[in-house]
Order: sequence, then C-alpha cells, then structure tokens
Amino acid sequence: MNPIARMLSKVRYLFAPRDSERDFDDEINAHLAMLAGRFRAQGMTQEEAWRAARRQFGNSTSLKEARNEMQTFVWLATLWQDLRYGVRVLRKNKGFAAVAVLTLALGIGANTAIFSVVNAAILRPLPYPDPARLAVLWGNVKRLRVERRGASYPDYRDWRDQSRSFEAMAAFDGAELALTGVPEPERIPCEYVSQPYFSLLGIHAALGRTFSPEEDRVPQRDAVVFLSDGAWKRRFGGDAAIVGRTIQLDWRTYTVIGVAPPGFYGLTDKAEAWIPFSMEGAADLDNRGAVWFTVLARLKTGVSRAQAQAEMDAISNNLARAHPKTNEARGVEVSPLDRELSGDLEAPLLILLAAVAFVLLIASTNVANLMLARSEGRRHEMAMRAALGAGGGRLVRQLVAESAVLVASGCAAGLVLAHYGIRALMAAGPLRFSNSVHPTIDGGVGLFTVLVCCAVTLALGLAPAAQVRTAGFDEALKQSAVRSTGRRRGSRFRDALVVAEISLSLLLLIGAGLMIRTLRHLAALNPGYDPSHVVNLRVSLPQLQPSGASNGNAAPGAKPDAKMVVAANDILRAISRLPSVESASVATDAPLSDSSAVYYTAEGQPPMNAQVKPRAYFHRVSVDFFHTLHTRLLAGRLFTEDEVHRDADVAIVTQNMVKRFWPGEDPIGKRIKIGGLNSTGPWLTIAGVVGELKYRGLPENPTADPDIFQVFNERSRDFSVLVRTSLDPAAMLSTVRGAITGAEPSILIYDAGTLEDSIGRETARSRFTGWLMAIFAGIALILAMIGIYGVMSYSVSRRTREIGLRMALGAGRGEVLRMVARRGVSLVTVGMLLGTAAALALTRMMATLIYGVSSTDPLTFAGAVGLLAAVAAIACLLPAFRATRIDPVVALRDE
Amino acid sequence: MSKEAAPSRKKTDVLQGTLDLMVLQTLAALGAMHGYGIARRIEQVSGSVLELNEGTVYTALLRLQQQRSIASEWGVSENNRRAKFYSITRSGRKQLARETEDWQRISDAIGRLLQLAAGR
Repeated sequence: MNPIARMLSKVRYLFAPRDSERDFDDEINAHLAMLAGRFRAQGMTQEEAWRAARRQFGNSTSLKEARNEMQTFVWLATLWQDLRYGVRVLRKNKGFAAVAVLTLALGIGANTAIFSVVNAAILRPLPYPDPARLAVLWGNVKRLRVERRGASYPDYRDWRDQSRSFEAMAAFDGAELALTGVPEPERIPCEYVSQPYFSLLGIHAALGRTFSPEEDRVPQRDAVVFLSDGAWKRRFGGDAAIVGRTIQLDWRTYTVIGVAPPGFYGLTDKAEAWIPFSMEGAADLDNRGAVWFTVLARLKTGVSRAQAQAEMDAISNNLARAHPKTNEARGVEVSPLDRELSGDLEAPLLILLAAVAFVLLIASTNVANLMLARSEGRRHEMAMRAALGAGGGRLVRQLVAESAVLVASGCAAGLVLAHYGIRALMAAGPLRFSNSVHPTIDGGVGLFTVLVCCAVTLALGLAPAAQVRTAGFDEALKQSAVRSTGRRRGSRFRDALVVAEISLSLLLLIGAGLMIRTLRHLAALNPGYDPSHVVNLRVSLPQLQPSGASNGNAAPGAKPDAKMVVAANDILRAISRLPSVESASVATDAPLSDSSAVYYTAEGQPPMNAQVKPRAYFHRVSVDFFHTLHTRLLAGRLFTEDEVHRDADVAIVTQNMVKRFWPGEDPIGKRIKIGGLNSTGPWLTIAGVVGELKYRGLPENPTADPDIFQVFNERSRDFSVLVRTSLDPAAMLSTVRGAITGAEPSILIYDAGTLEDSIGRETARSRFTGWLMAIFAGIALILAMIGIYGVMSYSVSRRTREIGLRMALGAGRGEVLRMVARRGVSLVTVGMLLGTAAALALTRMMATLIYGVSSTDPLTFAGAVGLLAAVAAIACLLPAFRATRIDPVVALRDE
Repeated sequence: MSKEAAPSRKKTDVLQGTLDLMVLQTLAALGAMHGYGIARRIEQVSGSVLELNEGTVYTALLRLQQQRSIASEWGVSENNRRAKFYSITRSGRKQLARETEDWQRISDAIGRLLQLAAGR
C-alpha cells in the first residue's frame, strides 16, 4: 500500500478514534462470547467457559495496543501525555519557564507586529482589479541626473494616441479646492482625472455614474463632479437625491453626477471629489512646456513593462525631435503602481523585519541555551527513563513537546503583544500609511506566526534532543563521573549558540547605531531656517468670479491685485497684535510645501541646453519673511516696505545661484530674468543673498537648484502665513486662526500646523526606522547579556569541582579568573568578527535611510563593538569572580 | 513505531506472514466471514496452530485491512450477533496469488533442503 493511503487511514482514525475503539471492543467481545458459547456447549459452566475463551483468545490488551500502534501516529497518541508532562516539568521550573516564555513572547510579538505591517502595506495586492498591470507614467527630464517632473497635457495626448502597449490611460492630478456655498466652507482634497480613470481602477459609482467620455473633451466646459462616499455623508448628510444637485467648488458651480463607493480615496489617497481633467487650468492644457501631472495606465494583457517602456522611449524620442524646445532631454518612465504607492515604505519595513527576525533568532538562541543547560542537568533523568524502556524517539518527542509548551505560551503572549504593538506602531509611529492599509492579525499573519513558532519549537526541542541521542546513557547513569569532563560536544554546540548570539547582536547594534547617528544628524540639521516656534498655515480668500489660474505661483510681473495685498496686510497686522507673536509674514508657499520650478536666465550667460538650463524655485514673500524664519542674510539687504508698494523688480536669491554664475564676484546688482532671454518678463536686480534653504525636502533638497524670492505681491487667492511665537506654536494655532478670521471673516484656513510638523513628516521614515531599530537593538543587547551570562555561569557551576581542585593545588585567584574568562573572551571575539563581517555586507541595504554617515561608518562600528564588549565583559566577569570565591574544601566535598 | 515487545518463541506462535496468508486464503475460499469464523476455519484446517492465542487473527485482520487487502462491514452473525464481516479485495487477491507463489517456492526449497539433510 502506498504511504499516502496509509497516512490517510491514520489521519481518519485520529478524527474518529472513540467510535472505532468501541467497535473494536465490541468485535472482540463478540468473539469471546461465541468462543464461550462453544465451550458452554461442550458442557462447561458459564464461568469456566468465559475463562477458557479468554485463555484461548490471548492477551486482548496487547492486541489493542498493537492496534493503536498500527493505526495512529504514535507521537500524536502520546502527544497529550508528553504535553502534560511538559507543562508539569515547566511548572516545577517557574523561573526558567517565565524567562523563556517572556523572551519568546518578545521575539514572536515583535515579528508578528512588523510582519502584519509589511503584509498590509507591501505584500497585499492593491485593492484594484489585476493591479499588476497598472502603471504610473512619469514625464522625466534628464538634467545632471534623471528627474521626475510630470507630463504636459499635449504630451499626455500624444502618449495616449501613439502607444499600443496600454489598454487605457488617464491623467490625474491632486488639488485642493474650497467647498463653498455651504455654511462651513472648507478646503477639500480633490483629483482632476481623465475619464478612463475609474474604469482603470475598477471603480463603479455607488450612486449615479462616473464621467462620460464627452465630459472630458472640451476644456472648462463640463462642470461636473463625482463625490467621495466620505464627502457625501459628511457634507451632504448622505442625501439620496444628491445626483443632479449642484455644489460650489472654489466659488464655481458643479453638478454632482455620482458618488464613489466607501473606502475609495483615489490614487492621492485623500481625494474627496473628482473633476474632469479638462476642467483644470485651461491655459496650460495646450502648453507643452507646462508639466505637472502623472498618468495612470493599464498594460495590455501579455505586454511586459519592459516592452511598454521601450515603446514609450521611442515615442518620447519622436516628441523630442518634433518639439525640441519643450521636449529636449525628456523621457517617460513606466513605473508599477504598487511601487509608486508603497515603494518608499519597502526599505524601512524590510529592514525592520530583518531586525526583528534577528531579535527572534537571538531570543530563540537564548532559550535553546537555557534548554540545553537544563537538558544537560537532566541527563540523569533521561538516562533513567531510557533504561526503564522509553525509546530514544519518545525522549526526543518529550523534549519537543516541552519546547512546544514553551513556544505555544510564548506565541500566545506574543500575539497579545503584537496586537497592542500594531496599535502603538500605527498611532505613535511617524510613518503615514495609505487609507487601505490596516495591519491586523489576519489569516496570513496568523499563518506566518504559526510557521515561525513551529520552526522555533523544532529548533528548541531538537537541539537538546540531538544531545540526548549522542550522549551515552549508561555513562550518564554513572552519577558524577562525567561531571567535570566528557561534555565537550554539548559545550561546543552551546558555544556556537553564544557566538551566533553575539554576532547577531552586533549586527543589530551597528544597524541601530547608524540610524541613531542619522537621527542626530537630522536633529542637528540646519535647514537654513529655524523651524521651531513657527505656526504654518494656508489661507484662501474668496473671489467673486471664477478664475482660471488658481496656481499658487503666478508668473512674476503679473498685475498686482490690490485687494489681495490689502487682505494679506490686514491679516498680518491682526496677527502681529497678538501677544507672544514675534514676527509674522506671508509667502506664496511655505518651506516643505509644494513649490514649482521655473527656468531663468542670468544676464550675460551663454545659451545652454536643456540638461543644464538654469532652473530655480520661485517664491513671493513679504518683508518680514526672512526675519520670521531666522534666515541669515549672507550679502546685500532684505526687502523694504517701499519695494512691496512699488512691486519693485528686485530679488533675493540663494547662494547656489551665486556659486554658479558669479563665483568670487559680488552678486549684488546682478540681474536675472524668469524664463528665457527672450521672455517678456522684467529683469530683476539681485538685492540680497541668503544661504541655501531646505525648502523642498529634507535632509536635502531633491535638486541643487537655487530659490528666487520676490516681494509678495500676489494675485492668487491662496497663500501661506508663517508666525513666529514665543509660546508653543501648536497651542497658538487657534489664537492665530481667530485673528485671521477676525480680520477677514470670509477667509478659509487650511493645512494649519507647525513648521516642525512639516519637518517631522520629511524625516518620518528615518525616525520610524531609527527608533524601532534602537528598541530592537536594546532588546538584543539585553538578551545577549543574559545569554552570555547564562552560559558562563553555567560553565562555572559545572566546573566547580575542577576549579576547587586547581585552587587546592595552588592556583591563584588571578589564574582562575583568567581561565574562566578566557573562554568567554574567545567566544565574544569570534562572534564580534562574524558580526562585523555580516554588518559590512548588510548595512549597505540601509543606504536610503541613513543620512550624514556612511553605511560602514567606523565610529559606529567601533561604538557598537565597544558597547557589546562592555556588556559581554560584565556578563563574563561576574561568573568568573564567583569562580574565584569557590572554597576548595566545600567544592571537593560537594561531590 | 519504534518499539514492539520481542516475541517469545512459543510453539503456538505463527509467523506473521503465514497467518496473513492463511486469513487471505480462508476469505478467498469461503467468502465474507467474521473473525470468529476465520479462527474456527484455521483451527479446523491447521489443528492447534492458533491454540491459546486466537486474538492474533485480529492482528492479521488489522494488518491486512490497513494494506487494503481486505475490507470489512458490519453485519449479523448466524446466531444473530452484531459482527464485523471481512471480505477479500481485488488487491488482496493479487497479494494472495503473489504470496502463494512465494510460499510455494520457499516451501519447495525448504522441503528439498530438508530431504537432502534427511537423506544424508
């Protein structure tokens, strides 16, 4: 019979053992009864007949046992017994059990928690049909390196019409629009999307419909809006008759055509309303030079991403030839959607997963060590049981069952830890996950935990079992003869565990050290402004007639809108009157919010190609801006009130521009112009120079382009307000809000926070990874210390007699100390060498997360080695000192 | 299945394979039977082979059932007792044919060997 069938019949038996056992009893009884009947017929008495029948039948108990052996997995049949014995043994060793369970719970809990986040954020497919075929198309520009910029609308149309690799394409762009014409106006995040957007993502309207192709055709014609479930319920009370109603966005009337299903927030992950793409900035839809959005596309079945990329490369080459002015050095990048949405989480999460895996390895090593120590102490028990007839396999099963009891308890405690750990991670962790990410302990995570636990159980149980098998039982039975010698094999295995533990701990310590150094660099980072005590919010002024350009950065030289400046000044005056406000200013955009790039020309520069064409980020700021941000002026002067009134053609630039065009010269008085040499804009005279500002990203700006500041003279209804206070800025928020609405009641305030918050978001990934790594490394360090201490003190206790003998023979305390410590030192050295080698190989993975240190930073390596060495020394020396205090008389008598 | 009690060599002990073969042959010749019937039949044919240890028939039955050589079904015995009836399966018949042949070969060989020894 084949083994599978045999297995199946055994498994079947497992599930119905009771009935089948009773059946077997019945069968035997029937047989006995018939036999007895036969003997009765031969003239025996009832009693005699039964006795004879039993005699003839033979031993029915051993028959049943034989049957059990045959029909079940023996280890399963005895499992319960083994488990109960395991619980009993562990209950007798409460200290050991508590330490082991706690250690395992920490390891398993941390693994489960991190894995559940990895599972939810990375492993789980996106909630769209066939997400593997979804891609995001980026318009890239090749400057000193390839930069992602976005697409222009004419480019998008050409990509869509010329490519054959995609089923459909949809332009999309996030924007914030004011929901007006309602009692409590507010800014809501929206998306401008092309018509196929929803079908690409497999989204069907829960109410009404999505856009029709007709509605996305003519710019500015079809004012229709598709609402999110959240906006519909929150703002319109879930009105079932919402379709066909009109709402106001940015003071313009839109007709609601449908409502999205719950849980859908678009690719920006926060959209509350969707508007046809053709409704966005009319002027820019025909401008090939204006690039600002990304494109969602679905690959045709059977078309690989590489094929699509090749096709798009060809298309962009053609476009560059046809439109050299705008498309020179421009390309298209086909990037998988899942990498776009969660790619930046991959590095920190996988590194953390590796780190917790190491923690679990260390924890298991510790527990294995403890179990080994105990199993050596239990050689006598094992030998006795073997002598009494327990098979070797049975003893191994017993040990595995004991470790299973430990691991199961550890696992249960770990799951509880993980449950709260996940909550804490999500609540306190600075990382922002997308709306669809809800890490929980679900089936997948449960399976992961169970697999981890099974592996740990086997490893823990088999390690001592291997020793049980190799140990000679008769030898073990001979009481103490083996006590001081004859344990080389076991100790070598335990030594290996200690070495592994040390090297893993060192690896974690180095990783954590790099992250901590990164965090210190980040904390000490000078962004070119002082972010502390600065309230940062955006305001939006109502406007009576719709305006096409709601772009935050209007071209310089545009006609000043008197009302806007007055409003800004009113706001500033109102805020300045508040107590504890040191300085207040307005700007088109605050640091670390969106700002957009312009090409510029420095007077007298030679013509340049697209790769090095001067590019800068343009901001308009009020007089006190640099004062509010505590930005140091390097040369020249700041803006004056008079210049604001005149809308003077002066600029303050950052040092990078000076470095590029006027190195070693006095830049004051030099002139620059926004756009090309032939653009109609005025020449701007440089009045002042400030140091580089980390305006667009931390720890570094994405590109080294300079910033250009001009006086605040804004026609946009939308600008940033920055307020420096002497109090806690978070506490000042509501006061500042009150002052603004007091000055201008119809104003909308949004994105209110502190500048430190903005900086915190930029460094969230590194901080998240750094703190968790530090916690894991701390746990690892403690575990390693316990591990070394355990092994060393165990070895001392085993060698008590030997040490006593040596001392009786005249060995000094120093010699004993050296002898005991030598073993520990050599183990630690080997472990550290291995750990350093592993760290050199592995820390390279952290390159994207660390800042200001190299992944092989010698200081970090040395620090980690030093710390571990100190901890190891303590763990080694304590038992060694105890050894020196051994009284030879007591030690020798003890045996 | 690591441990089994070492069998004591008694006269009544039947070699495992032999008993299996006897049970199979019985079922093949007489059709479905319960354990008691099989034991009686073997007793009848082989005399005292089973004496004092009839239970071993069940060991053989369990073994054969696990090998799928026989199948079982509950039924009612001739004197109205609930009894389990065993019958030979197709793979059981194949096994029987195979083992009968083996047995024949071995017993021939042993027979010749013993004759030689006796003749010397």
